[in-house]
Amino acid sequence: MTSQQDYKDRQFLAVIGDEDSVTGLLLAGIGHVTAPPDAQKNFLVVDNKTDNAAIESAFERFTTERKDIGIVLINQHIADRIRHRVDTYTAAFPTILEIPSKDHPYDPEKDSVLRRVRRLFGE
Amino acid sequence: MSGAADREAVFPTRQSLGLMKAKLKGAETGHSLLKRKSEALTKRFREITRRIDEAKRKMGRVMQIASLSLAEVTYAVGGNIGYQIQESAKAARFRIRAKQENVSGVLLPTFEAYTTEGNNDFAMTGLGKGGQQVQRCRETYARAVEALVELASLQTAFVILDEVIKVVNRRVNAIEHVIIPRTENTIKYINSELDELDREEFYRLKKVANKKQRDNAAQDAEMKARKEAQGAMDEKDQVADDGPSDILGAAAAEDEDVIF
Amino acid sequence: MEGLLFNVNNGYIEGIVRGYRNSLLTGANYTNMIQCETIDDLKLQLGPAYGDFLASLPPNPSTSSLAAKTTDKLVSEFRYVRANAVGSLAKFMDYLTYGYMIDNVALLITGTLHERDTRELLDRCHPLGWFETMPVLCVATNIEELYNSVLIETPLAPYFKGSLSHQDLDELNIEIVRNTLYKNYLEDFYNFVNTHPDMVGTPTAEVMSEILEFEADRRAINITLNSFGTELSKADRKKLYPSFGLLYPEGTLMLSRADDFEGVRLAVEGVQDYKSFFEAAGLGGGPGGPGNMAGGTGSEGKSLEDMFYQKEMEISKGAFTRQFTFAIVYAWVKLREQEIRNITWIAECIAQNQKERIGNYISVF
Repeated sequence: MTSQQDYKDRQFLAVIGDEDSVTGLLLAGIGHVTAPPDAQKNFLVVDNKTDNAAIESAFERFTTERKDIGIVLINQHIADRIRHRVDTYTAAFPTILEIPSKDHPYDPEKDSVLRRVRRLFGE
Repeated sequence: MSGAADREAVFPTRQSLGLMKAKLKGAETGHSLLKRKSEALTKRFREITRRIDEAKRKMGRVMQIASLSLAEVTYAVGGNIGYQIQESAKAARFRIRAKQENVSGVLLPTFEAYTTEGNNDFAMTGLGKGGQQVQRCRETYARAVEALVELASLQTAFVILDEVIKVVNRRVNAIEHVIIPRTENTIKYINSELDELDREEFYRLKKVANKKQRDNAAQDAEMKARKEAQGAMDEKDQVADDGPSDILGAAAAEDEDVIF
Repeated sequence: MEGLLFNVNNGYIEGIVRGYRNSLLTGANYTNMIQCETIDDLKLQLGPAYGDFLASLPPNPSTSSLAAKTTDKLVSEFRYVRANAVGSLAKFMDYLTYGYMIDNVALLITGTLHERDTRELLDRCHPLGWFETMPVLCVATNIEELYNSVLIETPLAPYFKGSLSHQDLDELNIEIVRNTLYKNYLEDFYNFVNTHPDMVGTPTAEVMSEILEFEADRRAINITLNSFGTELSKADRKKLYPSFGLLYPEGTLMLSRADDFEGVRLAVEGVQDYKSFFEAAGLGGGPGGPGNMAGGTGSEGKSLEDMFYQKEMEISKGAFTRQFTFAIVYAWVKLREQEIRNITWIAECIAQNQKERIGNYISVF
């Protein structure tokens, strides 16, 4: 289990999503850009042109490299594109949350956590 | 029960029997305690999974409402503000803080959302047009994110509990299916060994007793023969000696009783 | 007098635009549209009006692509009209596009400020606000260069001159830059329609003055309302008010002093239309108290913004009752824009399954 120190300073959310989802969440005020010069953003806008490697590296950055992120929000249809990574991610911190996007309504069947729930109860 | 081979390597002594019995008792207590813990956790776990299920479905709805409020902004502003928003984001206003909750000795973290006052990156957005919608949209999204944070807490609890329950159940099963049977086997083995020893001992004593009896009988016969021979020589004198001889015979009989 | 020579140069355009106006969606169309269950149904309903433009959309398109395609139609029609326009009408139509240019330039300035690759921003620019030298803007890597060598070449240069220095671009919030430009633009446009020899005293000047005055007032009111609770000072705020309009100068002065919703209401008291808007908005919860309309439940009344749009549409519709005027081009663009917003809104409601607010569109025909 994660130690006390590990999550004490996790105070940000991160988001990987399409433009509308990111815009909305940024409006809510979760956006954070670290001090220059590296100026790391805690959000990634994904469109059709973004390749999977970029998504994966962002996922990697938010989940393992950065120690100040507590929750990673990811659009479900984008999670689908890197499904193997999301499914094999089991650590408690940061939490991965699959969220619906505007053009892709939420499908509980695909959610990695909900699938685990189903498997556990054999439903 | 698995075969007799599955037991601990101990000498079948009364001391190790005592040890094993204590161990069995300990294992049973531990088993019932762990079982209870696992049940408590599972109860909590099921509750959490149910809430996750609900929350996930609710989230779909909440996010739809939020998207619609964003659509409202697009409607009022008459264009897409996405890029501008992305560029003007500087410092997070909406942050989370982790707390702990204790469930049957397991520390479950929960996230709590809070907003830092003062920094508002988007105050000017939509100044000329649609500002009210932007503000409204911000509130709607802030609420949506709060719901998401709550869901995230549940999900973290889910992942951790899942892990802990697996460990506890593994222990319960290990005790139930390995340690207890093995200890029981060992006890049985020790008991049977001890019984075997007892039987050997009994047989040995019986043999000894038989031999003693035979020896006694032979001695008696010899004695009798000698007495008869003496009696033949001086009959009168021997009459008085009968008493002690009888007493001896009775004592020998009593001895036999004691042994068998 | 204007009727004598108007058709020589502009009769064809007027005919075309009136034709376009007739193809706008009517109330009956909207009633059909809100019955739709899926975006595909909606697409089908839009078929007669938009035809080819929607043909390339995939089944169940996203609302944003739908909006993009409907905008494409407006753009292509606008370009056709613009290509056929001559003389002062051509100039008038250029003026129309400046508003979009301001948004585009603001976008590019934002990109340059954050040292982004501005090339990819070109896709995001509004096509109506496209101008020849726009791609050149992307060459500039810092704001000073952008200001000194590139912005000067754009049609917007006069709006920068005198009110914004390149330091301002760096320091001021982009929204202030945008609104300063817009104020200068509105004043210039107003001046143009009222002083140009082809338009003075014609219905064009008359109708456009009404439209632009309304636009100026709307911006002044919105800026005031939206500036509450921000770091925008009253003095700075005053600089963003256009110097004409029904509210100018007394109302604008009062607006510059207003501290809350109530203050704004008092400032606009003098104009009947705005007064009634504020009364309605005040009853409906109003934008004065943040939070009370939030959460997608604010269907209890129309927001001020909605009423302004409604008013704009009525003025635009009214413009078509006049003849021999350029204003119909402006009115047609605005009506078409509203139609696109309506379509997007309805599509959004269908996509998000939020039918209870689907009726929030504005239809004037």
